[in-house]
Amino acid sequence: MSGSLKLLKLINVILEHVYKFLGLTNPIPEVINAFITAAISFAVISVFVMFLVWMERKVSAHMQSRIGPNRVGPFGLLQTLADAIKLTTKENMEPQKRDKIPYFIAPIIAFVATFMGVVVIPLDKGVTIQNLNIGVLYIIAITSFTVIGILTAGWSSNNKFSLIGGFRSAAQIISYEIPLVLSLVPVIMITGTLDLQKIVEYQAHAGYWFVGPQIIGFLVFLTASTAESNRAPFDIPEAESELTGGFHTEYSGIKFAMFFLGEYISIIIGSSVAVSVFLGGWIAPAFMNFLPVPGFFWFVIKVLLVIYLIMAFRWTFPRLRVDQLMDFGWKILIPIAILNIFLTGLWILWFSKGV
Amino acid sequence: MKKIVTYFKDIIVGLVNLILGMSVTIKYFFKKTNTQQYPEEKLPLPDRSRSLIKLIYDQEKEEFNCVACMMCQKACPNNCIKLEGARMPDGKRKMINFKLDFSTCIFCGYCVEACGFDALTFIPEDYENSVYQRGSLLHDEHALKWVRPTVASNPPRELNQSTQVI
Repeated sequence: MSGSLKLLKLINVILEHVYKFLGLTNPIPEVINAFITAAISFAVISVFVMFLVWMERKVSAHMQSRIGPNRVGPFGLLQTLADAIKLTTKENMEPQKRDKIPYFIAPIIAFVATFMGVVVIPLDKGVTIQNLNIGVLYIIAITSFTVIGILTAGWSSNNKFSLIGGFRSAAQIISYEIPLVLSLVPVIMITGTLDLQKIVEYQAHAGYWFVGPQIIGFLVFLTASTAESNRAPFDIPEAESELTGGFHTEYSGIKFAMFFLGEYISIIIGSSVAVSVFLGGWIAPAFMNFLPVPGFFWFVIKVLLVIYLIMAFRWTFPRLRVDQLMDFGWKILIPIAILNIFLTGLWILWFSKGV
Repeated sequence: MKKIVTYFKDIIVGLVNLILGMSVTIKYFFKKTNTQQYPEEKLPLPDRSRSLIKLIYDQEKEEFNCVACMMCQKACPNNCIKLEGARMPDGKRKMINFKLDFSTCIFCGYCVEACGFDALTFIPEDYENSVYQRGSLLHDEHALKWVRPTVASNPPRELNQSTQVI
């Protein structure tokens, strides 16, 4: 039992006292517990996203020899909070001929679908919100629902730019889903489990991270997850210079904020899975093993490093054309991922023969 | 076979190029920034930069260098300079009224070029000339008065601290 789990138990104990005080039945209903966990994780993720937006602006600024936000709060840290307040208090403009119900539902689908992936992320040894034995499958399945939200948004906005953006996004996310899954398959073959927690434990026992033997898989996964979260250089669904804003052209205020939040959460999910599967999750680096810090710390550090890498992609590489994007996905990433599976299979055969 | 070789070669070359691109941006990430935080830090402008024109005032003679020869008024393409001169009892001409409509000035610098008496100049420090009302852009000789700093009247700051020079 580690620190974070104790925190959840502490919250439970406090809740029990509140229940006794109110004169209600003692054991807390599972539903209330789930709601509270969801609220806590939503708050933490929101603050983390705010930090990431600030970090993105700082990283981009320093890569262009600028300073970036530095006026609001220390180092401009509260800049994103100011922007968020501005965004939520803004007037909600809607096109007159929109398709009302899909227009309203689209940002919710896009946001919830990505946010649900947080559930199975292994934060520390034995600490996940809800550990599933099919964690990898769950994440892949649930995060690909985003495309439905984006497509609905593009369709219901009644705007050609939105529609093109939505279609492009559908084409992109569906084709990059395949290398994303295929790049995870070798690791699943080696560990023999879909449980993210067990994959990390396997790496702890084996003494190496999968980024070593599975470097190809790691690179393919990183590329595909960048494409999954619609970020540059794969941001053709929202290419500013061609589509003004893509699928979220007609969205403003809080609904736009939900798309924005969803995009950043999908970055977090992507890099968390990359860290758990390829970079050893909450395991401390071998040369820093002696430090008395919880695994959660190492997990966050690694996630931030991967996110920094993804941000560096965005501010380094030019945007791909649509046909180049499809070529890259189908002709390079998928064959490479399949070759990687084949090589890993040979590797497993070789070692099992030796044993 | 050759196709397969070029396929893998392209991938490796592409990967190397991507890493090279990343190394450039990451190198710049750790470099010093070039931003000048304007209201707090001000860059010194070049000596010959143009701004609000100034009338040079001679502190020893206690008068303007201007003799109202009207050359600047003639040189001005927008007629923003209006000046009046008068002959003094001692026979010298002297400027008594100088009006500058700064709102139509285009910083062409012809007035400074035309001046043959070292009476008009641009000074590089005085470039924050924006105002809230249009009327504030009308300047007269008192507003444009400028004393050329000399070594004696403007000693370096280290010496200035102990002995107060006005």
